[in-house]
Amino acid sequence: MTTASREKKGRSRFREEFADPERRTAYYMVLPSLLIIIIVAFFPILYGIVLSLTDSTAAAFGSFIGVENYVEMFQDPDFLEGLSNTVIFTVVSVTLEFILGLCIALAINRAFRGRGLVRAAILVPWAFPTVISAVMWRLMFQDRIGIIQYLANAMGIISEPILSDRTLLLIAAILVDVWKTTPFMALLLLAGLQTIPGDVYEAARVDGANVWQRFFQITLPLLKGAILVAVLFRTLDSYRVYDLFWAMGARELQSLSTFVYEGVRISQLQFGPGNAAAVFIFVTAFLLALFFIKVLGMRTSAEE
Amino acid sequence: MTNKREGMVTTTRQKINRRDFLKLGGAGLAGAALLGVAGCGGGGAGSGNLIFSMGPDDPNKTVTRLIEKFNQQNKGEFQVTYRLMPADTGQYFDKLRTEFQAGGGDIDVMGADVIWPIQFAAQGWLKDLSEDFPESEQQKFLPAPLAASTYEGGVYAVPWYEDAGLLYYRKDLLEQSGFSAPPKTWDELKEMAQTVTEQTGTPNGFVFQGANYEGGVCNALEYIRTHGGDVLENVTSGKVIIDSPEAAAGLETYHSMIADGVAPQAVLNYTETESVPVFGNGEAVFLREWPGTYGDIAGGQEYNLKIEKVGVAPIPVAPGHQSSSTLGGWTMAINAQTDMPDEAWAFAQFMTSEESLKWRAIEGGYIPARKPLLDDPEVIEATPIIGLAKEILLDNATSRPVTQFYGDMSLEMQEQFNAALKGEVSPQQAVETLQKSLSSIMQQAD
Repeated sequence: MTTASREKKGRSRFREEFADPERRTAYYMVLPSLLIIIIVAFFPILYGIVLSLTDSTAAAFGSFIGVENYVEMFQDPDFLEGLSNTVIFTVVSVTLEFILGLCIALAINRAFRGRGLVRAAILVPWAFPTVISAVMWRLMFQDRIGIIQYLANAMGIISEPILSDRTLLLIAAILVDVWKTTPFMALLLLAGLQTIPGDVYEAARVDGANVWQRFFQITLPLLKGAILVAVLFRTLDSYRVYDLFWAMGARELQSLSTFVYEGVRISQLQFGPGNAAAVFIFVTAFLLALFFIKVLGMRTSAEE
Repeated sequence: MTNKREGMVTTTRQKINRRDFLKLGGAGLAGAALLGVAGCGGGGAGSGNLIFSMGPDDPNKTVTRLIEKFNQQNKGEFQVTYRLMPADTGQYFDKLRTEFQAGGGDIDVMGADVIWPIQFAAQGWLKDLSEDFPESEQQKFLPAPLAASTYEGGVYAVPWYEDAGLLYYRKDLLEQSGFSAPPKTWDELKEMAQTVTEQTGTPNGFVFQGANYEGGVCNALEYIRTHGGDVLENVTSGKVIIDSPEAAAGLETYHSMIADGVAPQAVLNYTETESVPVFGNGEAVFLREWPGTYGDIAGGQEYNLKIEKVGVAPIPVAPGHQSSSTLGGWTMAINAQTDMPDEAWAFAQFMTSEESLKWRAIEGGYIPARKPLLDDPEVIEATPIIGLAKEILLDNATSRPVTQFYGDMSLEMQEQFNAALKGEVSPQQAVETLQKSLSSIMQQAD
């Protein structure tokens, strides 16, 4: 096919779409929802991007200053701390959640008595609002009345108050997040596991495959779709972490989103860098999702 | 055939007919909508209502009862509605700011934390009260909160009730270890704390609020000022002077509280909520706190400690300097956009009148901001802390360096003071960093 004929194919396909009255009606039907999405979702994002290129404050719209806000943001030590905390948090907690979630999913995949009850029970941490469980865990890490601090001291592994040390606080936040969202991962992976037909394993056993070979060469490849969906969800969620860090750390723990909040809501002069950070989060999250879809080959529709 | 009929009958018996379900659902929704409208309709602000905003009332409901009394006096003319705000003053501040930024809002009079009037006045959001509140009247109030309500020649709030940092101590434990008076200097405090904890077995020597929040600034400023330093040249205005050997010495003492083992390391994340129970349950010898705690302990309901064992003293000093307590407290401010200015002033005047303040001191233990009341025998009897703390309130209470951008300044100070307390940065580094960042913030104000 020459370039010319390919172009003509493209153009004629376009005309084909709109020539057909039925398909045209379909597009008109979708138009209202599309407009609403554009107004509600796209407009605030565009407005935010425009604001980040000006020196506005929460009170007044300012003048255009180019990328100065972004430069200031990248030089702000709080932002860099938030960025490193968020990246470490995302990578470690998603990895842990994935491994633990997969183990749990494999364990409850076989039918046993009380399986329905177990599946409901493991969802309980996920069902709690994050703020409530964060405050609850914070109380458990307190130095005077916290059970975990007490146990850690008694076992001799930690001698200082957990809440006063930034590293320990980050580790604590990671553990709380793993506690909270492993069930979510487990259920998503379980749903994926249940689509794998049992006779594939039968055939493999007949061929003499052992447990590890069955796992790595049958289960994981067939589970790839579900894994990518679950991991993408969790990665984007962890990347935007705010309530857990804010409620558990009480301003000690910085993430990208807490930096945005401090800049935009609490401070009066940091509005520019805070807004720039919000745009930064949006762009990087978008790129992450794109990476998952294009590079890792996550399927986004049923027909491919 | 029979089976089929049986099957059909079973189906219709088990499920509600779809039409009936839709009817029920529609009726339910309509009912809920009507209730919602009825509920909303009653709560809106009519034109005859004055809206007063404040955080939650105390257990004795002093604010609510005062409002009721005022409404009785003004029946038929206008009524005051108490609009409840969050208990967390930071959140309350955010709410007010959001309303002001959106164009005024409908709050007419507000209970304002003493650090707010200057910040709001700088944006033109508060009404200048100089006409209704002349110098002669101003003199009757405590000087420190009045100064904190003044901005560029105008006065934007009326002081309402006061708070200042105090040193609480265990009289009985000190006596037991041979000390007859509370410590006057920081070194004496450390020495007494160590001796008393050794001899009496009390777990902690000294607890205070060292967390990364506004209270941490209040605590650290006391150390800086009692060593002869300060943040701004004229307390709330002027050049930034925090980079001084005195301020660094103050932060050095602050840090030594943990380093020398006088205070537990956990004070790094203590706010009032965490520190008061430690002292209240007898686990500390010294506590730095606001005056309200005296009433809480005396009430006998929350803590084990008996009030007879508690003494109150001024904040210790470095030798040769004067004591300094950070000023807290609340004021009455009026929205610049209010459409009921005379009524608003009448209400503000009522709440800060001698009568109301005295009543509130006796009923709720709130320290009045009027000087003469601090000598009133009835008030002293009701709130013993006034007698104990009068000298502190009158002479030593100093405002925080409140300016137009205090929010940002506070964020910087919170972080640096906490880092210095932790030992993450040296006191010298902390004051140098603050000198730079606070100066650049102050420049923006010009």
